[in-house]
This record gives sequence, C-alpha cells and structure tokens, in this order.
Amino acid sequence: MNGRVQRMSFQQFMELTTTLLPLLLVMAVDSTRTVAASSSNQQCGNSLQQTLKLTRFVQKESVLLIKTYKAAQGEMSELFCKVSVNDVPDPNISGLEPSERIASIYTHLQAFMAHFKRVYEQQTDLQLPSSPLLGELTAVSSRSRDLAALMNGFYQSLFPNLPMPEPAGGPTMLPPPQNVFQQKVYGCAVLRTYKEFLSNVARELRTLKGKVCRRRMETNTFLLRMT
Amino acid sequence: MPQFSVSASSKSNCCPLWLIWVLLGLSAVHTHAKDVLGVPQQVSLSPDRFSRQLSISWLGGAATTFDLMILRTELNESVFYETLSVNPVSGQHLWNWTSAEPLECTSLSIKVRSRDGHMTSEWSNTQILRGNDLPSNDKCQVYPLDRVVPVGANTTFCCIVEEGKVFDDLFYSGAVMNTTRLSRRTYAGTVVNQGPSSSSGTNVVCYNSLRAKEPCGTVVFVGYPPLLSDFVCETHDLISAVCHWTEARDTMLYGKRRSSYSLNKRDCLQRGQKHKVCTVDHWEGNWTLVAVNFLGQYSLNDSAEILNRVHLVAPTKVSSVVNAWNATVLWQWKYRSYSSLRLVCQVELTCNGTKTNLTVSGVGLQSVVLSDLYPEEDYSVQVRCGAQLNFWKWGNWSEPFTFKTDTYVPEAPDVWIWMNRDNTGRIVWKPLTRRQSHGQITGYEFTLWSAEENVQHTQIFSPGTTAAPINLTQIAAFSSDKIIATIIAKNVKGSSQPASVVVPLRLTEPIALSRAVYTERGFPMTWQSDANATCGHVVEWIDAVCTRDCSVEWIKVAAGQTNVSVVSANFQPGVRYIFSLYSCSSEGRELLQRQQGYVQELVPSSSVLLSTSQQNSDVLLSWGEIPLLNRRGFLLGYNVYNSTGSELKLLVNLPDKGNRSYTVKGLSEGSHKFTVKAYTSAGEDTGATASITLELYADWLILEILTSLGITTLFLVIVSFICYKKRKWVKKAFYPDIPEPKLPGDWSRRQGPLDVKPSSHSIMHIVEKPEWDSSKEALVVIPEEDEDEEGQGMGDEPVDTDEPTSLSYYNQVVDERPIRPRFPDSSDSSASSLDSARTDVTYTGIQTSGSSLVFQLDSQASAEGHQPHADMSVNGGGGGDYRPQMQARAPSDDIALVSPEPFIEAASGGGYKPQSSWHLDSPVEGEESGGRAPSLGSPTSVASTQFLLPDGEEDTEERRQPSSSATTWFTNLLSSTKP
Repeated sequence: MNGRVQRMSFQQFMELTTTLLPLLLVMAVDSTRTVAASSSNQQCGNSLQQTLKLTRFVQKESVLLIKTYKAAQGEMSELFCKVSVNDVPDPNISGLEPSERIASIYTHLQAFMAHFKRVYEQQTDLQLPSSPLLGELTAVSSRSRDLAALMNGFYQSLFPNLPMPEPAGGPTMLPPPQNVFQQKVYGCAVLRTYKEFLSNVARELRTLKGKVCRRRMETNTFLLRMT
Repeated sequence: MPQFSVSASSKSNCCPLWLIWVLLGLSAVHTHAKDVLGVPQQVSLSPDRFSRQLSISWLGGAATTFDLMILRTELNESVFYETLSVNPVSGQHLWNWTSAEPLECTSLSIKVRSRDGHMTSEWSNTQILRGNDLPSNDKCQVYPLDRVVPVGANTTFCCIVEEGKVFDDLFYSGAVMNTTRLSRRTYAGTVVNQGPSSSSGTNVVCYNSLRAKEPCGTVVFVGYPPLLSDFVCETHDLISAVCHWTEARDTMLYGKRRSSYSLNKRDCLQRGQKHKVCTVDHWEGNWTLVAVNFLGQYSLNDSAEILNRVHLVAPTKVSSVVNAWNATVLWQWKYRSYSSLRLVCQVELTCNGTKTNLTVSGVGLQSVVLSDLYPEEDYSVQVRCGAQLNFWKWGNWSEPFTFKTDTYVPEAPDVWIWMNRDNTGRIVWKPLTRRQSHGQITGYEFTLWSAEENVQHTQIFSPGTTAAPINLTQIAAFSSDKIIATIIAKNVKGSSQPASVVVPLRLTEPIALSRAVYTERGFPMTWQSDANATCGHVVEWIDAVCTRDCSVEWIKVAAGQTNVSVVSANFQPGVRYIFSLYSCSSEGRELLQRQQGYVQELVPSSSVLLSTSQQNSDVLLSWGEIPLLNRRGFLLGYNVYNSTGSELKLLVNLPDKGNRSYTVKGLSEGSHKFTVKAYTSAGEDTGATASITLELYADWLILEILTSLGITTLFLVIVSFICYKKRKWVKKAFYPDIPEPKLPGDWSRRQGPLDVKPSSHSIMHIVEKPEWDSSKEALVVIPEEDEDEEGQGMGDEPVDTDEPTSLSYYNQVVDERPIRPRFPDSSDSSASSLDSARTDVTYTGIQTSGSSLVFQLDSQASAEGHQPHADMSVNGGGGGDYRPQMQARAPSDDIALVSPEPFIEAASGGGYKPQSSWHLDSPVEGEESGGRAPSLGSPTSVASTQFLLPDGEEDTEERRQPSSSATTWFTNLLSSTKP
C-alpha cells in the first residue's frame, strides 16, 4: 500500500511538473523581453530628447544669428530681410510616415548646411575677419551638422533596416551668382527659413516622442507575443 | 576730299567760254557738296556698362563735323545733342559718350548726321541701346550693381520698377533720394559727395507703392584708393628679405575689393589689417611695392645692402648655470649665419620687479655671465641681439628664462638693546630680509657672555623671533663689568657672523630733550666727531608715549660720519618720536643727544577738561593737560573763547602752555559759555566748552545798603548835632519870635481873645501855645480861599465883607499833631511848609452877621455830643457860610466820583469845615471825623482854637477831658459872641 501510494505521488508530481514547466518558461522569456522592450523604449526617448534639446538650442542660436546678420548688412536690412527667395529650402517637413519625416528633417539639414556654406562665403566678402557674424555662422552650421548626425543616428536606431533615402530633388540646388544686394537678401532668407524649419523640427520631434517610441514599444510587445 | 579751284580769264573773246566754265564749276561744286554731306552710315553702338560709356561709330564719308543726338527712347527726351568734330580712323568715325545714368536704366536712341557749316545731311538711322526696362524684363531692378566709388564721388542710381507696380521711393543708406523719371518704369536719383561705406557696403533700396513687399536694390562700396607708408625691407637670416609696410589709410574696402600688393611684381598675399609683411627669398637690394584696388594704386620703393638691414631673430633654447652669487646664461641661434657675425646683445635681468640691463658683445655671442646676484633669489632673464657693425635694430627678445641662485650663509643680524627703567630690557634685532638671509632662516642663537670670565649663557630662538629679554639683576651673577650679548642667524648653509652689543649695566641718566624738525629727507641729526666712537653711532627712536618694552627702531651710522637723516616707513603723522643718539665703542654705548619731534603735527585729538567757578563777578576757567598721546603736536597754547550763540569770540590767547587757567572779569549776571581750545602748529582742537550762570552777589548788595544807611545816619547825626549846636540860630531863622503887638496905651497882656483885623475874606487866628517854649510857637495859617474856587455853593452865599471879621489870636497851640495834607494841592503844600516849620495856624473864627441860628445849632450839636457838622451843614445850606477849603476836592477825580454825597453833604451843610479835606480819602474816618469833628461852623465871629483841626486823637483827648474842653469851648464861645 505504501508503495502504491508513493507511485501515485510521483506520477502526480511529474504531471504537475510537465504542466507548469512550459508556463514557467513562457513567463521567463516574456519577462526578459519586456525588460528589453522597456530598455529600448527608454533609449528611444533619451535619443529623441537629446535631439530635441539640441534643436531648441540651435533654434535659439539662429534667432541671435539673424539679429547679428541684420546688424551686419547695413541700413534698411530689417525691410529687405523680409523678401522671400525661391532658392531656399522649404521649411516644412515632408512625408507621412515617421521614417519619411525624420528622413526629411535630415535631408533638409543637409540642404541648409550647403546654403550656410554659401552664405558664409558671401559674407566673408562683406565682413571683416573679426566680425561676430562669421563666427556665429560657423557655430550654427556646426551645430546643424551635429543635429543632422543625431537625426541620422535616431533614424538608424528606429529603422535599422531602412537606409536613409536620398534627397528627392537630387543634390542641393544653390542659387546662381548674385549681386551683393541679392546675397544679403538671400542670406537673410536662408537664416529666417532655417529658424522656421527648426521650429517645425522641434514640433515634429515632440510629436515623434509620443508616437515613435511608444509604437516601438508596442511593436516589440507584439513581436514578443508572436513568438 | 576732292580739291577744286576756280580761275578767271581776262580775255574778252573768251566770254562764252568763261561762262561755260563757270556753269561747269557751279555744277561741280553742287555735285561735290552733295557727296560730302552724305548721311552717316553703319552707325553702331558699343556700350561699356561698367563705365557707363557708349562708343558710337559710323561711316561719315569725308565729313568731319557731325551732329549727334541721344534720346531716351521711351519718353523721347534728348539726353545729348551736340555738333562734333570727329576725324575718321580708317574711314570710320568714333565718338565715346559717357552717360550720367547707368546704361541699364533705360533705352537710348542714337542718331547722327553730317554737318558742313549750316548745311546738314539727313539723320542716320536711329540706333537703340536697349535698357533693362523693357517689358520683357518685368522684375524690379536697381543700377549700377556692386559699384566701387571713391569717397566724395557723385553717383546716379536708377530704379526700374517691377512691371505693373508704381514707383514709391529710392533710398540711399536709409535716406530718400530725389528722383527724376527716365522712362515709364525707370526713376533715377543722384547722390553727391558720398561718404565711406561700411564693410558690407551702402544699400540702395527701391520701393514700389507696396512698400512692405519685394523691394529691390543694389549695394555701392565707397572707399579710398590705397595709401602706404613705412616700407622697408630687412633680413633675418642674411639671405632672404622681409619687407614691411603700413597701410597709412584704411581703404574701407574689404573682401574682393581690398587692395592687392605686389613686391617687385610678385604678388604678396596679405592677411593683416594695418601692418603688412611680404617675404622675398633672396636679397635683391631694390624693391618696389605696388598696392592696387578698384579706386587706384600706390607704389613705394626701398633699397639697401643686406648687412645694413640685419634684424636678428630671438635667441632660442636659453639655459643657465647657477651659483649663489652669479650665473651664466646660454642660448642658441636659429641661423648658423649668425656664428660669424659680430653681435651686440642686451640682457635684461629681472628680480622682484626690478629690471637691470646688461650689454655684452662678441662674435656669434651665445652666453653671458651675470655677476653680483644674490643667493636664494629668483631671476628672470631675456636676451636680444643685433649686428654690431652697421647696427640696424635690435632683434626680438628671447622668451623669458627664469632661474634661482643657490643658498648661502645669512648675514649677521643688526642688533640693539633697549633698557627699561627697572633694570630689565630686551636685546632686539632686525629680522633678516630675503636678501640678507640668503635662504630660509632656521633660527637665532642668542648668547650672553663675559669676556673676562669666559662665561656664557646661550639660548636658541625660532626664526620669527626678533627680541630676547634680559634682566640686569640676573646678569649681575656674571660679576663682570662688561657683558656682551651676541646673536647669530642660521640657515641650511650655516651660521652668520655674530652680531654683538654691550649690555649697559648701569642705567643711563636721561638728558634734556630738544626739538627735532622733520624735513623732506627725514629727521636730520648731527653730532660732533668722536674718536671714542670706534664702532660709530646709533640713533634709536621710539614712540614718546611708550614707557616700557618699547618697539624701538634704530639706525647704525658708521664711524666718522657725523650726521644722518632718520627715515622710517613706520613714521606716522601726529606721533611724537623721541630720538636718542648713542656713541658706540667697545666699552658700550653712551647717550649723546635726545630729541623729540613729529613727522607731521596734527591738531590735538582730544580737548582739555574745562571747569569753571565764579569768583564774585569774575569767572575762573581752569583746565587740565591734554594727554601726550592726544596732543599730536607740540602745544603752542590755548585760545579762550566766549561762546555767544554759534559764534566764538576770542577772549584771550594764552601762548604759555603751562598756564592752564584764566579769569574772565567783569561779567554780568546770567549764563555764560566759554570754550578753550588748545592749538598746535596744525591748528586748534575741537575745544572744550563749559557754561556758568553768574548769580547776584548778595553780600555786595547788603554792603551797599548798609553803607547807604550808615551814611544817611551819619548825615542825620551831623545835621542834628549842627542843629543842636545852632539851635538858637535855627530858632531865630526858622522860628522867630512873634513880635508882640505894640499898641498905644496899656495893652497889657491878658488872657483872652485878641481880635485882629484879618483880611477882607478870612480871619487868621494865630495861637500861641503857652506850654511851648518860644521856639515852638506855631502859627497856623488858614489860607485865604479864592472865592471863585469856593464852589458853586458859595456863589450865592453872603460873604461877610460888610464888616471886618475878627481874628482871635491865642498864644497857645490848638493841636499838637502836625498837619498832614492828603491832596497835593496848593493848600496842602502851603500847609506842608507850615508844618515843616512847626507853625500851627488855625482858624479861630469867622465873624458873620447872622449867627443866632448857628448858636442854636451849635448848642444842639453840643447837646447831641459831637454832631456839630451835621448841624452846620443844614445851617450852611441855607446860609451859605464861608467854606474856605472846599476847592480841595475838585482836582481829584476819585473824589469827584466817590464823594458826591459828602460833597452834597458838605454843600448842604454849608458850615465852615476848614480841615474837612483830610477825611475825604477815608470815608470812615471822614464820617467819623465829619460826625464828630468839632466845628465852629458859624458865620459868626467865634474865637475858636480847637474846632478847626479835627483829629481822632484830639477827639480822644476831647473825650478824655470833656469837662475842660466843654468849658473852654464854652468860654471861647462866650468870648466870641461878644460884640
């Protein structure tokens, strides 16, 4: 009798074990993946926050740069700085999907850097080497380069399998040779448009923060469920 | 040009021929004229828009004079129309015209015609130079573009308004320009005397009527042509040339518009703003510098031999070999070519901010020895060199190189001794400076020793110690007459030489202090040369306030020197210093002089303590001495002021500083304030003020009163005495005997009334008091009253003038009491005078005719007992009796106001009341008197001796002796009624 009882207990133990073991395994794997997803989401938020901070900083710098630029262009610069110029990048961010919009930001930054370079060249002809304008132009251009790198990294982290698309219109189109007055107007338009573009970028990044990073978490969770 | 000529023939048979020739000639001339004035052909335009120059060329045949017309095409306005003389070049005529406006502003139409005198050809075909205001170019434009013009130039700008827009304004550097219309869309304005523009140029902006939108513009750069100076070339390496120059004037043109430079036709790339440098690989000897910009060019030349322009580079790799008192500085040259060059070098040695220059020379110099350095000291050295031969300029300084000299044993400290008055003292020494210590001081070794006994006590003090206490009572254990204190400084390198001072075993007696005067160089002290002062002299000084363990300073003067100026960084203004001059010998020190003085005297910092005390009518001011610390200068005296309000009135200046009291005399009663200020050569102190209130001097007043009383008493005594001695004379003078009437017959004296015929209106009764002596006989005068002054009541009264009144004269006194008149009227004065003469005069009776009634009343009054007045009043009212003294009431208003009733009473009484006035100021008395005053009050002749002088005492007397009075009165009455 004792031996039977013992056999029964062993069988019941084995049945219980075989029943619980897969459950335990699933729980273990699930908890691991949840932790991974949470960590990835936090990293996404941090990267986005860092990008947003730099955007805001460059935006403030661009405001000061515009003031310096206007002061360096002579009389009536306030008036002719309002003139719109066609050869300046569009400040609006294009694309529907986040990946497209992030890529748009990146390509816009690249385009603006080309224009900054042109403006810098033009202004070196008009300003003394000691002019603060040249220094501020260099600083904002450098910051924009950093911002573009951040955007690229952010894009790569979000969409590692999607290569950064090339600009739709090909290489950045710079304006044809201009007279000095046109150069002054052009530089002002570039800076003004850039400031507007940075506002759009900041707004876009705030939108992406609640959209992309959360979606990424949901996507990860979904993938986890599928496994 | 075709040549032609006309010649005339004189032959008559040739007339037809001549005529033919003329006609042919005219025909030829006409044909030729048509050939010369041909219409210019192939007119072409060649514009230079940068220079606004238009080259017009045409084929004009043989003509040399042309009319040229230039019109603004749209408005057909003439811009240029002149007759030109243009010589053909290769058959083509060319004329350059410069437009005031940029050629882009609007289209121009150009046509040419030939001219010969007044004859002109047809105009050529119009050539149009198209402007940028064509409808096909509909954008807004401003010209000229990016032009560079010199400062002071005049430039015309034009604005081509955007097609379909209306022109508004054209701005130059923010200012609106005056514009003229050139075409349908073009407006132009000229700026004169343009000022230099900024680096980004001057903006010219054109606005259409919608000002806020789409302005267009241009930028003009206004600057100067280049101007250079100080062009010179030199060599650093003895091979190449480095040329420098300075931009004497900023061209105000930057970027692409800046000046470009070429040196000997080789471009020099420049970055600098003002000082320019250009390098040539080989020394050429002659250089030409040319600067060019948009507005012009400027050139400079230089030429020199290479050895005359050697500018050495800075020495490199500077190093040193250092000792305690000297060092060797070494360096290297960048170029080997310097090794054979004779150099002169300048070494700048810096130590604690002090710079020392040293110049050395030599071929290829690469080191210098620096001597006279101080141990354990930081030095910094810089070196620069130049070519000694044909010196051009110093080379560049090397980088500063620092080194530190080695440590060395310290110098002996400067030691001195300070003795208190109680046989204690201190051996003091000056702390060694960095220059003296030659390294970090590790301590001081202090030794007291006796050379005779070879006994010594040694103490070690820490590096910061500067004094060692001594006690002569302890030193006495040495039992030697000469004790020497020695101090030795120590550092890591060893011990210094010992510094000694002889300890004075006996106190030095102080000598008198003299005044030391501070000068710009300090306190000068001089002394006689002393051969015994083998180790010189020492001047020590202390703060005069100090009495024990003073912070003493001293200066040692070498033997043989007889003067010194004492200077110390510790001198403070307002502090008195005492200077003591000692001679120094191996046996010790000897005090020679003592002086005291101030670096700068100040006003005392505190005031005296002032006290005041009254001395009769004087005030004694006394004050204490200002403490020495607060004097801050030599006190020259005190000024005593009297403070009246906010002003100080100087009472006295007391130059004697020893006198610290002053008495202010002759002050009046009341409060007085005094201020005492001590003063030095710097001025007065703030002053001490004290107040005192002078009180009345009572003793003096009492003395005065007593004196007055004494004098008065003495006078009275003297007068009395004189009067007494001269009483007979006085009596004779003032109280003469009344002579007895001398009557014929036997007029023996009898008792009874003596009828005297008085004056017409009064009766005077002179009474001789029998019990008086002759000298006291009184004559009482009843003054005769003026009838007018009798009063109205008297007017109607019958005056007994019909028959003479009788005046009874008695040789007796009616009343002993002096008459005391109360009213200052004439009667009073007369009465007073009489009173003073002790003469009693009274009315004794007035005789009137109607006296029967009076007698009745009097008797009635007598029966009623002392009521005669009332009766007399009644009687008087009807009878108008004689009232001689009624007028005495009138002058007094008081009486008039308060005494109508008595007046009425008196009036109604009408009786004679000769003395009634005495009682008016005292109604009670008046009433009493009036009621009781015995009055004869009768118009009848009554001999009365008593009634006219009413008096309480008399009344009393009367009451005491009623029987006798009544008897007397009755007797008198009877006698008076006798006919």
